[in-house]
Amino acid sequence: MSELQPIHAAPTSFIKKHIFSTDHKVIAKQFLWAGLLFLALGGFLAMLIRWQWAFPGEAVPFVGQGMFPSSDGSITPSGYTKLFTNHGLIMIFFAITPLLIGFFGNLLIPLQIGARDMAFPRLNMASFWVFVLSQLLVLASLVVPLGAAAAGWTTYPPLSTNIATPGLGQTLMVMALFVVGISTIMGAINYIVTIIGFRAPGMGYFKMPLSIWGLWLASILNLLFVPVLGSAGLLLLFDRLFDTQFFIAGASGNGDPILFQHLFWLFGHPEVYILILPAWGVIADFLSFFSRKPSYFYKGSVWALVTISILSALVYGHHMFVAGMSPMLGKSFMLLTLAISIPAELLFLNWLHTIWKGSIRLTVPMLFSLGFVFVFALGGLTGIHLGTISTDLYLHDTMFVVGHFHFTLAAATFLAVFAGIYFWFPKMFGRHMNQRLGKIHFWTSFIGINGVFTGQLIVGYAGQHRRLYDPYEYTFIKHLQPLNEWTTYFAFFLGVSSLVFVVNFFWNVFRRGHDENIDNPWEVGTLEWTVPSPPHHHNFDTIPTVFHGPHEYSNPEVKKALGKDWLAQTEKFSFSKQDDS
Amino acid sequence: MTKSNNQFKRIIGVLVTALSVLIVGLWHGTTALAAPKMETGIGLPKDISVDGHRIDWLLGVTNLFVTILFIMVCLWILIACIKHGKKHTSDYDHGESKHTFIASLTVSALVFLIVDGNLFVNSMIDIDYVFWDFAGVEKKPDLVRIEINAHQWAWDARYAGPDGQFNTKDDVVTLNQINVPKDAPILFQLASVDVIHSFYLPNLRVKQDVVPGRITHLWFQATELGDFDIACAQHCGVNHYLMKAQLTVQNSDVFQEWIRQQSIDSVRLYETAVKEGGIHEKRFQETQWGWPWKKSL
Repeated sequence: MSELQPIHAAPTSFIKKHIFSTDHKVIAKQFLWAGLLFLALGGFLAMLIRWQWAFPGEAVPFVGQGMFPSSDGSITPSGYTKLFTNHGLIMIFFAITPLLIGFFGNLLIPLQIGARDMAFPRLNMASFWVFVLSQLLVLASLVVPLGAAAAGWTTYPPLSTNIATPGLGQTLMVMALFVVGISTIMGAINYIVTIIGFRAPGMGYFKMPLSIWGLWLASILNLLFVPVLGSAGLLLLFDRLFDTQFFIAGASGNGDPILFQHLFWLFGHPEVYILILPAWGVIADFLSFFSRKPSYFYKGSVWALVTISILSALVYGHHMFVAGMSPMLGKSFMLLTLAISIPAELLFLNWLHTIWKGSIRLTVPMLFSLGFVFVFALGGLTGIHLGTISTDLYLHDTMFVVGHFHFTLAAATFLAVFAGIYFWFPKMFGRHMNQRLGKIHFWTSFIGINGVFTGQLIVGYAGQHRRLYDPYEYTFIKHLQPLNEWTTYFAFFLGVSSLVFVVNFFWNVFRRGHDENIDNPWEVGTLEWTVPSPPHHHNFDTIPTVFHGPHEYSNPEVKKALGKDWLAQTEKFSFSKQDDS
Repeated sequence: MTKSNNQFKRIIGVLVTALSVLIVGLWHGTTALAAPKMETGIGLPKDISVDGHRIDWLLGVTNLFVTILFIMVCLWILIACIKHGKKHTSDYDHGESKHTFIASLTVSALVFLIVDGNLFVNSMIDIDYVFWDFAGVEKKPDLVRIEINAHQWAWDARYAGPDGQFNTKDDVVTLNQINVPKDAPILFQLASVDVIHSFYLPNLRVKQDVVPGRITHLWFQATELGDFDIACAQHCGVNHYLMKAQLTVQNSDVFQEWIRQQSIDSVRLYETAVKEGGIHEKRFQETQWGWPWKKSL
């Protein structure tokens, strides 16, 4: 391994060190900044959407006059379509993806498998700068003539063609999706090769932390399915720019809009697992770390992750149950969709068993992890209703769907991201975050998240459908106004609670000094905690040798011999009974 | 140049069509009856269909199952946090015994078989024998057939009229107003001229996307008189939220009389338009968007 990974001198110029850096740790931070910035933007759009649902057509306080001068500060129907379209796209592709894949992947993969950097550091740098290009395209799409993208995050044609959204903004947004796809593929190749080729001696696949398993499987899915999104986007661009008719049908064309849906969801369903797999991995590790107990049935969890990854490619049709698909196809997708619940239940049982009879430390990352289990249970269980055709006849395209996927894709992923930030902050910056503020941040955002998305589930169950500028145009929704208003208050509460995080994060990133007890404050055994915080440019002076799995906690023999309840993966220790898991 | 020219024509075309449909719709228009009643509470909206109870039951049972599972998860976490806190000595257990393997898989399989199994079996029955059994519905004696033409942002409905044939002069065409008889199966064929819409009847628990370039199907049987909302559930542009129609469920004799009267008007209008020729005839023909009824498979 060592001869493959020579030690390079750390760059000294500011540009090479902080901007065009090939160091995975710097690139991880860059993805973190880029992701958090767009998270704030996407969150701001969400607040505007919530305002509209509570007080339709009323002038937005504080920002309304500046944003919507032509309508005297109130959101217009056209402006509203742009809000929810960009909220969805920005959150999924430009906030969650860079945080879960770009940030976690870059930070963890080399450090946790014992490598000095990624397999292709320059490709890694390119991946980030291509990502920045895609974000710039998004920002440009917001300000060009004829307005921003407005066809919904799913970008279904013919709505997303010139027939209904002729603006340059929609074109730029589709281009941004194509470009972010290129960045993702670059990253995926790098992650896969690094994990296969650069594991430290002794680091077998079944000795990897579950975070790495999650990131690895997500990267494989990315590599397989992002090109499908790229092809759909490219054909859509042809329809928009060169008068082709791949997806245009009806009065103005002979293409097939459903073809786009197949391509979109063939990517789109693996995508939701791409986003949740790293989160599952990270959380599974944390549950073990902070219960001071080995991850229960580790191999079972791994095989559950693998099974879910395979099944994720075979269930996308459940997004199209009412699109007019053949009943035969619909039924197959229904069975496969329900089948995912078997490995998912196994995974969930393993989490619950991991914390059971442990010695739980309710640190900030652990609180976020337990919060994750809670919201993921809600998100997963409400998904069951949507997995079958007959219930979907009623629930499809209602706010129930919105609530369900926000619990899994928004609540769960962001709790995991925050858990990760609190956990690895000392490793990245050499300083602690304030734990009390962290706990306040957890409890406030936990209440906010559950209030918002439960509100969505309830109004959706009552029939309120999605993307309504003024839901109360409908008699059967009118009585839900007070509920929607309350949901909005929860959303604002959630928005304000994020400020606690912002203060805590920025203060500790930029304050001076180096805290005590920073190299391994959580007393865990994975490889990143065997090096100083922050690690040297080349991570490991000598490539470590791995002896144990990532979850060696509370072993009685270790306690007796070493007086501590954990064992680093690199710590040689011979157990009396052979146990190599 | 040609591109923008085409676009201009296209926009003019859509405008002219929409305008003429509006005019004819208003001509034919049934004056709106009493508006739909408000819902109360936070559960499902009122079910006014013969088969909606199937979906309601399945949702209810699933709610029960997932609530039990969710409470178990919450209790588990809560008890673990209270009982197995910092002072508790952690069990050193990798959980990799054969016993664990069998127990975990058994629990997963059991939950799958009960919760998902119930959903799967009932959903299969529901769609095979009820909601997607369009061939079976076609055979029902008192079936009412309606064609829907969806466009930004309205629903046009077409009834075959007394001759039973679509796209003939006695067709009844309405705008955003669909009258149906109580206790009779109503079968829709749906088409869209511009973007994807979704025909959504919350009180009847059914929904079907309307896709340009193809004909999709939906059917129901209403059991209660009154007015109910029809909505577009698929984002279809700026005024998506205004793309609503009213469903009026009438007694069968009232409905038949309504159809008869409307049809007489249709024929008279058609004949006047033909006699006067020119723009009148053209305008009338532009609203002839129907299609011969397609056989359901």
